[in-house]
Formats: sequence, structure tokens, C-alpha cells
Amino acid sequence: MSQEKDLKDEQKRNFLKIMGVLIIGAGLAGTLRSVVQNILPESVQAESSFPTLLLSLPDGNPVHTADLIVNNPQIVLYYYPLTNTPNFLLRLGDASGKDVKIEGSVVKIPATGQTYKSPPGVGPYGSVVSSSAICQHLGCIPPEIRYHPPSSTSFPGKIHCDCHGSTYDPFNGFSVVTGPTTHPLPSVVLSYDPSKDTYSATLMVGPTIYGHSSDLSGGQAVSTSFTTITTIQG
Amino acid sequence: MEDKGLLEKIMNEPQPLPRRVPDYMRGKGGIWYWTGAMVMIAFFYEVVTGLILFLYYEPSNAYASTEAILTIPYGSVILTTHLYGAYIMIALVYVHLLRNLFVGAYKKPREMQWISGIILLFLTVAVAYFGYSLSGDVLSSDAIDVARGIMDGFPVIGTYIARIVLGNGESVSLFTRYEGWHIILAGLILVLFAMHFFLAEYNTIMPDPKRNAYRVPLVDREEKNYKPWQPYNLYYMAQISFFTLALIFIIPSIVAIIPHVPALFSPFPQVSPTSPLAISVPPYPPWFLLFVYKELDFAISAVIGPFWASVLFIGLPLVYLLIIPYVEKTPTLKPTRRPIIVATGVIGVIYLIGLSTWGALYPGVPVSNVVALLFFVVPMAIVIPLVWYLANLIESGRVKSQNSWKIYVLMTLDGFLAVLSGYSILSALETHSLFSTISMIILLVLLAISSLVTYSLVYGVKISVPAKLSSRGYVVFSGIYGFLAIAIISIISVIPPTNTFNQSLYGIGMGLIFFIAGGFIMLYRSHVYNE
Repeated sequence: MSQEKDLKDEQKRNFLKIMGVLIIGAGLAGTLRSVVQNILPESVQAESSFPTLLLSLPDGNPVHTADLIVNNPQIVLYYYPLTNTPNFLLRLGDASGKDVKIEGSVVKIPATGQTYKSPPGVGPYGSVVSSSAICQHLGCIPPEIRYHPPSSTSFPGKIHCDCHGSTYDPFNGFSVVTGPTTHPLPSVVLSYDPSKDTYSATLMVGPTIYGHSSDLSGGQAVSTSFTTITTIQG
Repeated sequence: MEDKGLLEKIMNEPQPLPRRVPDYMRGKGGIWYWTGAMVMIAFFYEVVTGLILFLYYEPSNAYASTEAILTIPYGSVILTTHLYGAYIMIALVYVHLLRNLFVGAYKKPREMQWISGIILLFLTVAVAYFGYSLSGDVLSSDAIDVARGIMDGFPVIGTYIARIVLGNGESVSLFTRYEGWHIILAGLILVLFAMHFFLAEYNTIMPDPKRNAYRVPLVDREEKNYKPWQPYNLYYMAQISFFTLALIFIIPSIVAIIPHVPALFSPFPQVSPTSPLAISVPPYPPWFLLFVYKELDFAISAVIGPFWASVLFIGLPLVYLLIIPYVEKTPTLKPTRRPIIVATGVIGVIYLIGLSTWGALYPGVPVSNVVALLFFVVPMAIVIPLVWYLANLIESGRVKSQNSWKIYVLMTLDGFLAVLSGYSILSALETHSLFSTISMIILLVLLAISSLVTYSLVYGVKISVPAKLSSRGYVVFSGIYGFLAIAIISIISVIPPTNTFNQSLYGIGMGLIFFIAGGFIMLYRSHVYNE
């Protein structure tokens, strides 16, 4: 009889313990949820869609084909779509300095196996292309990552990053040549206005820009309708 | 032993920690042994929420970033509970202080505990002031202006002190410094609290003074029937922690939902100082500094300047509190044998509450020296003889009292309510507004109730204690508690934290869950440990 009573008491006590764990667990779960959701910063979309920005020179005039040098040993950059995302502006040519027409090509992302179509070159010779200038490996920016013209001795005709040796091929949609990167450089889709001889950046294709959760978040939008090119020594 | 310094005693005669603990500190009235613990819980809650707010607050953008916190998921809950947690902490600090004043806990061997406690009071109010001023709203800019006025008045080095505290005059510098001071002082509180707590453990809790015939030094000696700290005190502490947290969550969340809360108690920042609406907000300081605010309206304050007025009205009470253990060295712990100390405690509360109410009702209205003097003299002239008379009555045995502290606490309340009722009758007669009539009626009813309770306590009217639950009752009630907790958590987890109303619902829900958790631990202790 006494044993039976003990057993009953034991059961009651266990029930109480389960209830206690439930109640305090509910309190903890509620607290944790709010704390986690609170300290998680919301990602801010700087723009709702890709803007179309006219490429312009530092003096304010639009960039014309004559302003772009074939296989320029210097690095020509502009910011698109955000003020912290630099891009290369390249006019590609062969070793003798003649424009090379770039066709759109199917580019593979080695990390995922997915493919996408890179935009063809634009301009009167179809030789002007552009890509993100942030290395997809660990985010190095020019001058660490830069284009080596076909006439140079090291990495001819490739974009090479000095940080860890990632190499990309601008002639084939900025695809990966050698690692350690597992993603090609995202391409900027340029549009060329033959009547005015001007260039505009309209869209980005390929992987997301390095360090951003999406191409349009993690920075500030370019507030003007144009984006200015800057030239730095390679 | 008598001649040894505190440090020598601590280092050379260490006490075993943790001790076994007596039952009465968890029994009826045992809550008075835990007022410090409640302050500690509130403080730790403040630290946690403060660090979360630290992730969002921008000194360069004080007002806008504070407003922006309200739109972050659960930001409203964290901001409002951080504010009200501070309010509750300050209120609890005062309760803790008064309790220890009335029971004579400042006496040997606890002098250093008392002094560190007074410094902690000052630091707590200071840290709350800096935190309150961080929001960058119109009230914070008023509070900053007042502080600037007080500090500039410091003789000779006033402008240097103002620059050290307020920065170089630019807004960024000001709020960066205020954020810095807010955290520096909070850190100081932590350090001093550690010392305060260590001393409390070293000197032991103050046992029932009857055990030592009300004579100092009163220390707790371990007895046979003492129980281990864990689980007895641990569960008790968890219980009061949950109840304290429940208060911190529920009060601001309810206040946040009520429309038209006066600026003084609004849990949200007021309008920006540059807004045209700013003119409609009365220039209130935070409520815990309202008494200073009213004192600056006195005619004498205008003559001596805000700095010396602050020295007079803040410094003097602080000095009084600091020197109590060295002035009042009588070996008795009986409150009835220390009527002056008890009376000054009561008077202090009347001054504090009276001045604050005065400041809230008549902000910035100048007060002539005669009225100010009357305000200070009248309670003194009433309370001191009254306490003296009551003390003699109890002492002579004509009035029996088991819980004399309760009577003192209630008398404080009575005095406060009486003063307030007097004011409300005056204002009801003068203004004829419905609001003042209603408040007068409520105050008079409250006064009647509290006087009745005081009377019944003084003359020993017994109130029956509810009987213990049956063993089946425990199962039923714990089941109900568990069900309620799960129900509430499932309801509040589906409310999206998109606006302040929804977030306040979440805050109320969390408060209820903490309340249930505290209630459950009470139930569990009662069932398993027979307490």
C-alpha cells in the first residue's frame, strides 16, 4: 500500500517536472526567438531592379569608343549597380592590338555545375565587355585582380588575381580558368547606342557579386543616371 | 576582534561559502530578504537588453536610430522593457534601501555594505539618467540642458566638467559620450555590486533580530535545521526572478498599448526636439529625477544657482545616508528604539514622492521660499512626533506588533497618500475638472484602505492563511499552468512582430509565461519541499 502510494507520488512529481520543463522551455523558446530575430539585421535592398546607367568620363561627357584603348594596360573601372561594387571595362584585342569580336558563350559555375549565357561584346567591333572587379574567391579588388593583355608574359589574355591565383577568361564570358575560385566573375550586360556612340550598363548576369546577399543589396545605389569611369595604374 | 578592520577580517577569517540557509528567508515575509536579489535580476536584464540595443543605436543619429529600433522585429519590446526594467530597478533600489534602513541593516558589521549601497543608488540613478537621455527626443534634450546647467555651475572647473561629460558641444560628441558614460557607469555598478554582494555573503543575511535580543552585531549562525542552498534557495530565487521578469515585461507592454499615456510614463521616445510638436511636450525630466526638477523651481534655487541647489537637495540627503552608520551607533536594532532614523526615512519618502508629484502636476511653476519651507517643515513636524508616539506605544507594550516594519512601510504610504489626497482635494476645488474629482475619490479610497490595513496591523487583526492544496490539486494546477504556457507561446509565436501593437502583445504574452513559470516553481516548492 505504502509502496503504491510512493509510486503514485513519484508519478505526480514526474508530471510536475514535465510541466515545469514545458513552461520554462516555452519561456526560453519565446525569448530566444525574439532575440535571434531581433539581432538578425534585415538585408536592405538598395534598388528594386537593375538601373540603366550611362558610362561617362570624369569630365562628365559620355564614354565613346575612342576613349577606350584596346588591351589597355591600365585598369578602367566603374561602379555598378551599387557604389561599392567596381567593374572592369575592357576593350579586348589580340596580341597585335586588333579588336576581337566576343560572342556570348555558355559559362559554367564549377561550384554548382549550373550554366548561364554570358552577354556578347558590344561596340562597333563587338569587343567591349565588362565584369565585376571583385574576385569571386575571397573578394580582392584591383589592382590585385587585373586584366593581363595578350602581349604580356604572365597570364596573357586572362584576368588574374594576385591574392590567391584565381584566373578568369574575359574572352569566354569571364569563366574560371584555374582555381581556387569556384565561381566565374559576374558579367555586366552593356548596351551600345550606335547613333550616339555611347555605352550603358543595364544588367548583371552570372553568380552574385562577392560579399553580397544579392546584387542589389549590401550597399548604396548609384544616385545619378550615369556612372563615372576611373582609371588606375595596373 | 573588535579592533580588526573589515579587510583584515575578510582576508584572515574567511567564511565558508556557500552556507546552509534558514527556512524563514523563504517563508511568509521572507521576500524582504530578496529585495537585493530582485534589483540584481533587473540589473542583469538591463545589461542583456542594453547590449542588444547597443547593436542598433547610433550616436551620430540618436533620435532617428532610436525610432528605427521600434521597427526592428521585437525592437519595441526590447526598447520599452529596457526603459521600464530601469524604472523597476530604481523602484526596487529604493525599496531595498528603505527596508534596510528600517530594520537597521546599516549597523555593525554591515557599514560598508550600506555605504556601497548608497553609492550604488547614486550610480543607478546616474546610469538611468544617461540612458534616458540617449534617445535624443525632446525630453532628452531638456534633461541634457538641465545637466549642463548644473555642471556649468560647479565652481572654477565647471566648464571642464561639462565638457568631459557632454563633449565638445557637437551632437555626435554629446551622444557618443552619453553612450560611453551609460556603459561606463553600468560597468561601475557591476564592479561595486560584486563587492556589495560579496559583503552581503560575508556578513550573512540579517536573521530575525529577536534571536539576538535586538542587539548588534546580528549575524546568521548556521543551525541544525538549516537546509542546503541548492535546491531550496535556488528554486526560490528562480521563482522571484521569474516574477520580476514578468513585471518587467508586462508593465511596459500594457503601457505601450494604452493610448494617450502621459509623456512622463510613455515607454516610447517623444517627438524630436526640432519638431514643431515639441512645444506641446512639457519639459519633464525622467520621473526618478522629478524631485530635483521641482527643487530647482524654489526661489532659493534661483538665487544660489542650479549647482548649489543640487548640492543642497541631492548632496545633503546622500551625505545623510552615507553617515548614518557612523552617527547612529546605538547597539539596538529595534525600529521603535530608533524613532529618529525611522522618522527621517518616512519623511524622506514623503519628500521624494511629494516633490515628484508636485513637479509632475505643476512643472516649472516657481515656488516661494515660504511655501518650500512649509513643504519641508510640515511633514517633519507631523511625522517625527507621530513616529515617536507610536514607537513609545509599541515599546510600552500597549500596542502589540509582530511585524513593525510593515506598519512603518504602510505609514509611509499613508503619509504619502494623505499628502496626495490633500493636494487632490485642493485641485478638485480649484479646477472643477472631472479628472481631478475622480483622482481625489480614488486617492481618498486608497487612503482609507491603507489606513484600515495599518490599523488592523497595529492592533493585531489576524488574516487567515489559505490552506495547502491537496496532492491532486497540485497535478491539476500544474497541468493548467503547463497548458496555459503552451497556449500562450503558440499564440504569440504566430503574431508577426511587424508593428508595436503586435510586439506589445508578444511582451504581455512573455510576461504571462514568466509569471506562470514563477507560479509553477512556487507550486513545485510547495509540493516537493513543503514550503
